[in-house]
Amino acid sequence: MNALACSWRSLVRQPARTALGVIGVAAVGALLFDMLLLSEGLMISTRNMLESMDFDIRVTSTDQMPGRGPDIVDGPAAAALVATLPSVSSVITLRREDARINQGDSRPAFGSVVGVGGGFGRPWTVLRGTDVAGDQEIVINEFASQVTGAELGASITVRARCADGATSPPPMDLRVTGIAEFTFDILGESSVGMTDISLADACGTPGAIPADFLMVKSGGDPAGAAADIDALSPALLASTNDEAIGQLQQRGFTYFRQISTVLTTITVAFALLLITVLLTVSVNQRLGEVAALRALGFSQGRVVLDVLWESVLIVGLGGVLSLPLGALMAVWLDSILKRMPRIPADLHFFVFQPEAIWIHGVLLAVTALTAAIYPMLIVARLPIATTLRNEVVG
Amino acid sequence: MSEVIVSAEHVGREFAMPAGPVIAVQDVTLSVTEGEYTAISGPSGCGKSTLLHMLGCVDTPSSGTLVFGGNDVSTLKDRARSLLRLRQIGFVFQRFYLLPMLTAAENVELPQAEAGTGKDERRRRSLELLEYVGLAHRADHRPSQLSGGEMQRVAIARALANRPRLLLADEPTGELDQATSEQVALLLDRVNADGTALVIVTHDPDLAGRSRRVLTMRDGRIEREVNR
Repeated sequence: MNALACSWRSLVRQPARTALGVIGVAAVGALLFDMLLLSEGLMISTRNMLESMDFDIRVTSTDQMPGRGPDIVDGPAAAALVATLPSVSSVITLRREDARINQGDSRPAFGSVVGVGGGFGRPWTVLRGTDVAGDQEIVINEFASQVTGAELGASITVRARCADGATSPPPMDLRVTGIAEFTFDILGESSVGMTDISLADACGTPGAIPADFLMVKSGGDPAGAAADIDALSPALLASTNDEAIGQLQQRGFTYFRQISTVLTTITVAFALLLITVLLTVSVNQRLGEVAALRALGFSQGRVVLDVLWESVLIVGLGGVLSLPLGALMAVWLDSILKRMPRIPADLHFFVFQPEAIWIHGVLLAVTALTAAIYPMLIVARLPIATTLRNEVVG
Repeated sequence: MSEVIVSAEHVGREFAMPAGPVIAVQDVTLSVTEGEYTAISGPSGCGKSTLLHMLGCVDTPSSGTLVFGGNDVSTLKDRARSLLRLRQIGFVFQRFYLLPMLTAAENVELPQAEAGTGKDERRRRSLELLEYVGLAHRADHRPSQLSGGEMQRVAIARALANRPRLLLADEPTGELDQATSEQVALLLDRVNADGTALVIVTHDPDLAGRSRRVLTMRDGRIEREVNR
């Protein structure tokens, strides 16, 4: 009978202790798995959202995140200027403001309105109906449709509340041409898409068409196109998707990574202590047996290997269980975090990546090995004769 | 003349204790030859078990020389001493120390597996040994399903698994009642009669009386040697 089989029998012999260890590792492993998904989840999810829009460059007036810094004062002019570059394929302006909409006497829906101008591409996907083709047309999301009861062809009233607009902008009646899914839709909020001119009217400043930022599609070399845009005007700062993700990582997302790192360290340390304590207790209960085996000629390596296999089996079984458990917990925790205000519906905090599985496996393997060190030392250094004598005297 | 298996020349064993060194064995000289049957007796704490452990190469003398099979034990590394014990020495303990998660047959197989014996051969030898100790019908029972005497007989079968030259038993009847002790004693007689040298440590005068040589120890020394 080899060391693995002996260790397995040893675990089966003490089912309560084994179950405690396996369940403990499964719980800790699940947390560890979730922390791995969390550490990169927001970044991957954001990247996926950015790339889903078919634009690879954002142009702002400062190095602030789009929508956080000052507007580009004349959006259409800036877009036209950028569109002259041969490295650029398409440019649109994008401006987002808060808005309240309702249809007749219907319950109002609160959310945002997005004004878009310029070339091809929109930050929404039309699900039913047609896209906005003129200044009196809008698309709305499913939530807005459900709350206001507005369907295709309906006229709804939009009351915008704009950062740089009039104090009391006039309500505007606009026709719904389509039901759309907005890339940055927020759960429980309405989204309205219209032209930049319509939004300027809705803000009560028809002469001015600012833009939060420009969205640019390069001709295939986003870095080159971004450099061309930067060189075009000192008032325009271009960042590719990669650069935008890099900025997010440096600013907002570092907190998640730090939290993830701290919790990962704590969970691994907890697993380490749990397994070390369980194995140490187990080994201490069997010192007489171990000494007897050594007296019968079992090598130091063999009895050490028995302990190591026990650790590996407990951590292995717990680790396997931890994956589905972690996946369930990730879904649950994601749904809790997404209840925070103004979180886009398509944004996820916990995102599965294949690397997470092997990193999880490596961390648990290291944990199993490290946790076994102390009990292995006990066994390796066990004085055979003294232990046998003490066992009898005891 | 029979070949010497193990010989001790003026061996002593001293233990460092917080209150000062304790001398467990001092200036003991003896040898154990092929096929002999020796009992070591004496009061508790006189050094019987310590001497047995040194003869069995699980402990090394603080002084003197111990030679097993022609090798000075103090020069052997741990791995070499483990191999020596595995192939040439069998141990029987007062508390049996059978592995509780294994069956009787598997317990007997264990030292053979460590020695690299093939699976089929291990199984055959285990059943043969269990038959030898009268427990073939208990081969698939776990220790918890065996009586004390049965466990000790399985332990003897395990000690014989790798055909040792020397069987060492430390109070083999220490935890058994009189009737069961008699069964174990008879089995040990048979083991010796079949050619295995036997050294037992015992308080039991009846068991000691079955051997051909009785060494009586006191204060770490061999006080008396009786040969029959």
